[in-house]
Amino acid sequence: MAFLKNMGEYIVMLEIKHLCISKQGQVLVNDLNFKIAAGDFLSLMGPSGSGKSTVLSWIVGSLDEAFQAEGELWMNGQRRDALAISARRVGVLFQDDLLFPHLSVGQNLAFALPASIAGRSARRRHIEQTLLEIGLAGFHDRDPASLSGGQRARVGLLRALLAEPDVLLLDEPFSKLDAVLREQFRLFVFDRVRNMKIPALLVTHDIADIPAAGAVLDMGEHQAH
Amino acid sequence: MVTTLRYALTGRGRENQYAVWLALAGVVVVFGPLLLGLFWAFLPAFSRSAWSDLWADPEWPLALGSTLISTILGSALALVFALLMAVQCYGGAAWSRLQRQLPLLLSVPHAAFAVGLLFLLAPSGWLMRLLAPFAGWVLPPAWVTVQDPWGLSLAFALALKECWFLLWVLAAILAEHTILQQMTIAQTMGYSRLQAWRHILLPQLLPRLAWPMLAVFAYGLSVVDMAVILGPSNPATMAVLIWHWLSDPHPLIQAKGSAATLVMGGLLLSMMVLLKWGWWACRVGPYPKGVRQQTKAKRAWHCSTPLLAISYAVLAGLLLWSMAEAWFFPAIWPEALSLRVWANTDFTPFFNSLYVASAAVLLALPITLIWLEWGPQRFNTWLYLPLIIPAMPLAAGQYAVLLKMGLANSYSSVIWSHLLWVVPYILLTLTGPYRAYDQRFMVMAQALGKGRIKACLTVKWPMLMRPIFAAMAIGFSVSIAQYLPTLFAGGGRIVTATTEAVALSAGGNRRILAAQALLQVMLPLGAFILAAGLPRWLSRHRQGLK
Repeated sequence: MAFLKNMGEYIVMLEIKHLCISKQGQVLVNDLNFKIAAGDFLSLMGPSGSGKSTVLSWIVGSLDEAFQAEGELWMNGQRRDALAISARRVGVLFQDDLLFPHLSVGQNLAFALPASIAGRSARRRHIEQTLLEIGLAGFHDRDPASLSGGQRARVGLLRALLAEPDVLLLDEPFSKLDAVLREQFRLFVFDRVRNMKIPALLVTHDIADIPAAGAVLDMGEHQAH
Repeated sequence: MVTTLRYALTGRGRENQYAVWLALAGVVVVFGPLLLGLFWAFLPAFSRSAWSDLWADPEWPLALGSTLISTILGSALALVFALLMAVQCYGGAAWSRLQRQLPLLLSVPHAAFAVGLLFLLAPSGWLMRLLAPFAGWVLPPAWVTVQDPWGLSLAFALALKECWFLLWVLAAILAEHTILQQMTIAQTMGYSRLQAWRHILLPQLLPRLAWPMLAVFAYGLSVVDMAVILGPSNPATMAVLIWHWLSDPHPLIQAKGSAATLVMGGLLLSMMVLLKWGWWACRVGPYPKGVRQQTKAKRAWHCSTPLLAISYAVLAGLLLWSMAEAWFFPAIWPEALSLRVWANTDFTPFFNSLYVASAAVLLALPITLIWLEWGPQRFNTWLYLPLIIPAMPLAAGQYAVLLKMGLANSYSSVIWSHLLWVVPYILLTLTGPYRAYDQRFMVMAQALGKGRIKACLTVKWPMLMRPIFAAMAIGFSVSIAQYLPTLFAGGGRIVTATTEAVALSAGGNRRILAAQALLQVMLPLGAFILAAGLPRWLSRHRQGLK
């Protein structure tokens, strides 16, 4: 990909065209356009209420019925805005890690793992290997509630990536971590996403969250005044 | 308890000491005599003859059978209905529409609902009239559609009434933000909505439904009013049989009744163990295989539609019958409508109910508020027990106390007996808002020199006006719906809208029955409308209280 980029041919993996979102006649987002290439980050900035999380919900496909949205969502050259949530292949990371509390750490990850890795023991081996890579060896049977905040955040990201999404969306994923953990987890996320070579969209109101080489889009400019 | 008391009594002013004693006194007056009563009521059961009489009774096995069928089938169906509606509607516009209708559906008292369902399902009822043109019936078919010996129609009635309660509990859990987000996450991983429910939501919801399910089960076990109206008659269900036995003057038959009540308690305990065990057995799910299914196209048909249709048809049937002139089978609509029945309706039961329920709420509210403010909160669990214990043993225990003290057959004893259910329900609905109250307002008020009692009266309780009114409406409707305690404590002489509807259901006059059942519906409905409107009107100039 980097080679292609150097040649001046930009492979667009996530593209949003002419997105307008309104609620009860009030325009929240007005003609939003952006492209993100594989392995790149785009940060959506803006104060709360500027509609950045709404844009994210629209991409996921979980936008509340009270909103009216128009626009095109392209991923890997395919238009996906009319597809069901489950067919869009979008990974999401919210503020809370949202590990399923009734499953163990390993089962949480196995839930995301594609069925192509078949057989209980093979799946378990795969999960244990991934846990080892992120420094959580032996955590397979642990209760998610017994993990520290930083550990849960890492498992949460890993779960989103194990499902092999075409795009990763991050909705203020660092805001509930303390300063030290936040820095560590940020680097962890950037590293993982670059390894996966997928486009990532980060929603935040904190300038410190923006990765060094990432692009920034200020939502304030796309609001109706 | 002693240490809690000592802690509560030291380090606070004398004013608070009295308040703690008052909090305890209120609760003791409501719950205390019951312990003695239970002892007196169940003493006769500890004789061999009571048990041998019970098992020799020819009606007992049949009554036990129909009770088990109606209760187990009814509770299970109620759960299935509620879950189906939640699975189909959750997350869409239909979900909020459904939730808006819940208060009305919940407020319909059980007895009135049973009467309306009788009008709908009886061989000469609306359903059969709708089918008559196609089947060519001129006379009602000779089928057993209600009061069947197996208790199936009773099970259906219980399921239809209780599914709204379970849906209401489900709605409260599903309103939690993280539950919705977990659903979204499962779907982004490629799972269908149904799979997300199966693997993510249900394993978390079901254990939390255990207590509400137990309450539904306990209600089904000891329900008398619905069983008299829709249940089998010869023999009746266990609860009806026990009620006959316990109110028999002969001590041997009373002993048989108290032994049977113990069996009822045993059934509840086994259900509790079964639910616990069932949860343990399902606790460890299979290892996730990662197989994704396609999301199926949205169904145009919701299972809430027929359930809502039946519930509203029940109310419409009551209204129509109360105003119908001649209405012969198989006509779908009466020949003429008039208010003749309403002009001659006896409003005494209505006003009796209004009086008893208002008094019960006005007593229960201060008891609950004082308890919430000063009482040792760790005993709350014990106060909730009447909600999951069948009403039969409790009402029998209350009756034993009232008899010993020579207080039965009076309005005050009926009001006292209702408090056992009104106080826990008010407590249950108020606890959440009370805990969520921003305590800094109280600190502020006390810093301004108000005592705690004064601060409660002028700051805290007025600010909690909305939940307090809502809790009062719930307490009011709980009192209206009481049948067994009214009969026991009132000695059958205090006639309320509920007892009147049940008594009339045995007779043949549908119009008078419909009018009385409607009056029973109007009481809680009026209370809920008042509870929603009054705080809004009182706080019309206070935006911050909205």
